Amino acid sequence: MGMLHPRDALHPATLAPRPAAGRRQVLGGLAAALAGLPLAAPALAQAQPLRIGMITSLSGPFTALGESMRAGMQLLLAQSGNRLAGRPVEFLVEDDQARPEEGARRARKLIGQDRVDLLCGVISSGVALALRDVVTEARTPTFLLGSANDLARKAASPYIVRPTKTNWMLGSTAARWAREKLGGARVLTVASDYAAGREYVGDFVETYRQLGGRPGRTLWTPLGSADFGPLLTTIAAERPEAVYGFFAGSDAVRFLRQWQEYRLAGRVPLIGPGAFFDQEDVLPAVGDAALGAFSTFHQSPTAPASAAFNRAYMATGKPLPGEFSTTGYVCGQVIRALLERTGGTLADWEAARAALFGAPVETAFGTMPFDPRNGQAILDIHVNAVRRGEDGRMVNTVVHTYPQLRDPGPDA
Amino acid sequence: MGYAIVQVLNALSFSALLLLTGLGLSVVLSLMNFVNLAHGAFYLLGSYVAVLWLASGAPWWLAFPAAFLAAALAGALLERFPFRRFYARPHLMQVLLTYGISVILADLMRWGFGAQILTPELPAALRGVVFLFDMPFPLYRLFLIGVGAVLGLLLWLLLDRTLWGAALRAAVTDRGIVETLGIDTRRLFAAVLVLSAGLGGLSGALGAGMLAAYPGLDEEVLILALITVVVGGLGSFGGTVAGALVVGFALTFSKVWFPEFANVVAFSAMAGFLLLRPHGFVAPPLRQV
Repeated sequence: MGMLHPRDALHPATLAPRPAAGRRQVLGGLAAALAGLPLAAPALAQAQPLRIGMITSLSGPFTALGESMRAGMQLLLAQSGNRLAGRPVEFLVEDDQARPEEGARRARKLIGQDRVDLLCGVISSGVALALRDVVTEARTPTFLLGSANDLARKAASPYIVRPTKTNWMLGSTAARWAREKLGGARVLTVASDYAAGREYVGDFVETYRQLGGRPGRTLWTPLGSADFGPLLTTIAAERPEAVYGFFAGSDAVRFLRQWQEYRLAGRVPLIGPGAFFDQEDVLPAVGDAALGAFSTFHQSPTAPASAAFNRAYMATGKPLPGEFSTTGYVCGQVIRALLERTGGTLADWEAARAALFGAPVETAFGTMPFDPRNGQAILDIHVNAVRRGEDGRMVNTVVHTYPQLRDPGPDA
Repeated sequence: MGYAIVQVLNALSFSALLLLTGLGLSVVLSLMNFVNLAHGAFYLLGSYVAVLWLASGAPWWLAFPAAFLAAALAGALLERFPFRRFYARPHLMQVLLTYGISVILADLMRWGFGAQILTPELPAALRGVVFLFDMPFPLYRLFLIGVGAVLGLLLWLLLDRTLWGAALRAAVTDRGIVETLGIDTRRLFAAVLVLSAGLGGLSGALGAGMLAAYPGLDEEVLILALITVVVGGLGSFGGTVAGALVVGFALTFSKVWFPEFANVVAFSAMAGFLLLRPHGFVAPPLRQV
């Protein structure tokens, strides 16, 4: 029922024995000297713990995704010994319940009361857009993981870094793939009627038409549909040559299960953005209903860059990782890279930002350069096919990669 | 032709699910004048039990009695404490109590079963499909329609045609008089609540194949059940059947004709209907205390 307000906080500083102050300062000074920076300020900065605040959904419709995101970040912090660039890390997590006004309130609390040095997180794009003004006004460096196109366009902010995809990256590449592989077949589109669904389908249809494909009828259905039977019967009666669709979480599970029950699986090719067939959230719950489906995604457990993360994540007792555990981990990798490049300080955000955008970061999504115009990551987009793995489980398997996709950003 | 038939069957199967969930809720409401917002939690518990049972390899059809018993047991425990003390209290107190309990149960289930989405491994017998004029319709949904009809009938017979049902209805009207006849009304009410919780669990087991099981489903189901009961007429048996059919058909055909505005159309229609007939389809035989 989601009335829980978890305030899970990890306080490694209180768990680990504190070194004597003198030694700490000497070590800090040494590290700063090695980094070739002035002595005093970084030494002070390193004496203080670094507070990272995460806002994610730990109740409401995205509970499982939020828990994955937190687990990914926690794994990275554990691997780094709960220190980033020499500073001990305090990790505070707040629950946005997938509601924009709640997310904004939690962000104000983390910034004003807990005095975090930086913020990260967010599953829902609605919450991401609500946070945009809060963090920009407060000038808090924020690693925002929602994927609405506007976050890289109208709503871009100098205080926001986006180490994840935009919806356009997935919708447009799916259209390119469909054009190449299906030869411009009549593709019906169907999606949950909310921001992400509108963007995926809109970008797919627009790109597909530009490339000379024939988009078919578009069907929308409210978010959180209990029963997809009527919709699937309508789709069956339309007899499309292929279907491009998007549903997330429990909607995706119901749609895919019923897609199979109504005997559309295996008969009509199904394409979608990767979250529709998320490795962790959706595939384990749908049996072989999604077998043979294609998706475009920046994440794949079979992408070479993800291999080391897969092993570490599964060693903690988790399944093969999906989007949000990887995103949480990658976000941590980007934060770590940024801090290492600045010697652990965020005092001059302008310089820190320039340092991050100066060279790509190696992440579990692959080599990640940033677009300095909007702080948006430039990403490899994989085409994943749902295939049966060696142990019989369904695995999103990379069959093609569109390298280094860059959102049109402010030009769009 | 096939298209229309299959859409009608779609509506009927969804109505069957609404009927099953609504019945549990309306039984305690009509017979005991007790508002139980924890009913969604009983439903979700039944779903989880069925999913685990069907994955265990035990005979599949036993999953349904198992879910009934698990939820009935939970109902029995909650009936002893604290539900029993709230039967005579006003509705608002009951709402506060049972909503609180549903939140506790939801968190317990998230802790016990995890936050991931679970779906049942349907037995081969239910995985088939029938083709009606070339349009596919899943066998599992026919099963749902059949079970909904049979269970509804059985419950009606139990409450309307047996001595036990008569004693129960009498106890609701005047508990004191029934007590003087030597009938233990406390036990009678306990039995109704256990039956209602069991029905919730059973409908959860049956509905898992359509709705899956995950944290938050309890609320979604509770809202659907409340709508069904309210549209049908608070707490009358025939009303719940009518309500399930109306809501099931409204939600299904709004998806067929206006997929984009499915919820707006369906729920505005129901709100309009309630404005015209505030007591629902069948006026309740309730005395407001």
